[in-house]
Amino acid sequence: MRKISTRILLLIFAFLMITVFFMYVLTDYLYERLYVEDTREMMVEVGTKLQTMYTSGKVTDEFIADIEHYANYSNLNIFAVRNPRELSACVPFDIDYETLIGPEERQQLLAGEYVQKIGYEPRFDRKLISVVLPLVDQNRLEGIIYIYFPLVKISELANNEVIFLFVSAFIFLIVISFLIYKGIRHIMRPLSNLQRAVEQMSYGNYGTRVPVHSKDEVGKLSSTFNKMAEAIQQEDEAQKTFLATVSHELRTPISYVKGYSEAIQKNIIPENQKEETIQLIVREANRMERLTNELLQLARMENEQAEITLYPIPLAETLREVQKILTHQAKKKSITLHLDVDDALIIKAEEVKLKQIIINIIENAINYSYEQSKVEITAIENNGHAQITIKDYGIGIPQEDLSHVTERFYRVNKARGRADGGSGLGLSIVEQLLKQLDGKIDITSEVEKGTVVKIMLPLMEE
Amino acid sequence: MLKKWAFFIFSLVQIVWLAGCTEKSLESIERDQNFIASLNIQEPSLDFIDEQGNVIATWLFDKAYSGAILLGQDHVLLYGHQLNEIDVYTLSTGKKLYSKKVQVGTTNAYYVENKKQFFITNSKTNTVTSFDEKGNELATQKLGNYPMSMAANKDKLYVINYKDTKLSVLNIDNLKVEQEWPIQKSSHGIAILEETNELWIGGHGEGSKPNSTVKKYDLTTGEEHGEIEMPLMPVGLTKTKDSVLVVSHGHNKLYVADFDGNVKWQLEVGANPFVVNQFKDYIVVAGYDDHTLYFIKEGQVKKTVDVGNGAFQLLVREE
Repeated sequence: MRKISTRILLLIFAFLMITVFFMYVLTDYLYERLYVEDTREMMVEVGTKLQTMYTSGKVTDEFIADIEHYANYSNLNIFAVRNPRELSACVPFDIDYETLIGPEERQQLLAGEYVQKIGYEPRFDRKLISVVLPLVDQNRLEGIIYIYFPLVKISELANNEVIFLFVSAFIFLIVISFLIYKGIRHIMRPLSNLQRAVEQMSYGNYGTRVPVHSKDEVGKLSSTFNKMAEAIQQEDEAQKTFLATVSHELRTPISYVKGYSEAIQKNIIPENQKEETIQLIVREANRMERLTNELLQLARMENEQAEITLYPIPLAETLREVQKILTHQAKKKSITLHLDVDDALIIKAEEVKLKQIIINIIENAINYSYEQSKVEITAIENNGHAQITIKDYGIGIPQEDLSHVTERFYRVNKARGRADGGSGLGLSIVEQLLKQLDGKIDITSEVEKGTVVKIMLPLMEE
Repeated sequence: MLKKWAFFIFSLVQIVWLAGCTEKSLESIERDQNFIASLNIQEPSLDFIDEQGNVIATWLFDKAYSGAILLGQDHVLLYGHQLNEIDVYTLSTGKKLYSKKVQVGTTNAYYVENKKQFFITNSKTNTVTSFDEKGNELATQKLGNYPMSMAANKDKLYVINYKDTKLSVLNIDNLKVEQEWPIQKSSHGIAILEETNELWIGGHGEGSKPNSTVKKYDLTTGEEHGEIEMPLMPVGLTKTKDSVLVVSHGHNKLYVADFDGNVKWQLEVGANPFVVNQFKDYIVVAGYDDHTLYFIKEGQVKKTVDVGNGAFQLLVREE
């Protein structure tokens, strides 16, 4: 496959050739049109004036001498002819002789018109432009005035310079081609850089970047490429991190289960502690199950393309149900759930998903609240949306972690492990679900004072 | 104006009518009508003119005839250098009598009254061939390069080889070559003078150098008797009962010489004339370039008659 630069070079070279050829033809044409035409006009003018020297009768020696005399001072070749042999006077007879003028020209001259010829003349053995004017008296062609001028082709005109002309045209082509080659290479360099970078990318080197020097199309393409490479790299890293996290999260419960069950098998655990150990194994297995379920749910949601159908739901009812479900869990930590909801709020949502969102958030609030505190749940209308606020008085989230809490497996307290029971996926799931329900989440928090989570959901249009 | 138009339309009708006629018959010429006919070769036609200078008939041809001769009183033979047949027409009917296949390259035809034969020279085969009046071939003889001008006297036929340097003298009956005389190249035009036992020939001249003399030869031996200055390019020679008429086309000159070769008088006439003939009291000269016949009497042009383009030969019939 030929490179684009080669193709452009060939194209420009072809255009150059055409231009040079065109210039040559044009020059030739102009030479024919202007120079030849000009010469012809001048010859006719001179000839017509000389014609007036002839009055009537035979063409005299004096007349011929006069013409000759004039010719000596003219740059044209002029002579007068009176020999009837030269004038094709014997035409009805077969003549084995090349006459100066032919039978047709004789007819034209007899009619008093001048004859002009451009082309090779055997008599003079070269290309000529010639004008022949008649000397006519009473229908008799007594003689002619013959004027000619050698017709040199433009190349012949240059004669010695013709080689110079061709050589310089050749050198011109070479130099211009070289410059164009250089120019194209300069223009094409970012493109070939880009091509190399893409190649590197395809090998998996996502760190590849191209330098951006210009703001033209290629420059824009380069910077777009860089952005794309950045995005791919991030995605790649996120993928790796995710995999690492998932394996880590799964490995911990598995080693628990494995360790305790082996211990039971080898009778290391005293009989009175066995019950407790088995409970531990069950708990860890549950955790594992929950983790995998949540991962599965998350993966499914991300792949879910189909539109889910939303329908009107009375918000207050749903919130009360959730409160009922979680009351038991809250009581364990002696936390009270306060619910203050506008009964008139009808939102557009899907019930199961809505419940899961609220449960996840309230569970979080309970988990990170101090004992004997409270969680306040309110729902009001705000700007055509239902705004659900869940406020706790717990440990809060540090400012630097706030923007990451919806990322998968992100934990504010990394050292805390599984003691608080979270998988690190809860808020991720909430975010995904809200996306499906056209909702928004806004989290504000203050360490040691508590967290406020605001959820906006679209109201049913009247 | 109206007259002009009428004339124009009349001419047009006449041309169409005549052109339409060529295939069938041409305008007939009465048997007792004297005429001088001009064969015009640029646009082949034959103009018949009476002694008053009136054009009595015009025959237009669509064949490229380059020459014509009268065969006796009522027939005219037409030939062409590029044609492969000769045509004979009857004047009194205007109809074609017969056509005869010949080789392309006919340069001249010559009729000998007392033999009732005509002779045709050919430049491609370089031959002369004799025919009887019905067009039957009698004899053929190979000659020099480009035989053309012919004249007969008694039982001899004199033929000039135009692109050669010899004149062939033949026996008129069997066409055997009896003598060959050295002459100049490009010779053309013969006059035989029994009175002085001489043969005069004219010519164009060789190459770019034009000839300006008529040369005299002994009719029996071919010995050159001298030359007469008649510039420039005397090619049309006609003998009358008391003089020799010569036209030099290079200087548009008519020379009238006595039998001794003295120029009695001369006249500049016509444009590029190739032929001269006697018709009644007139000397008639045909101008090739100005397509005009000049009727000359007493050394002066008495009248002129316009004829077709390229008047090249004159045929005279008078009782």
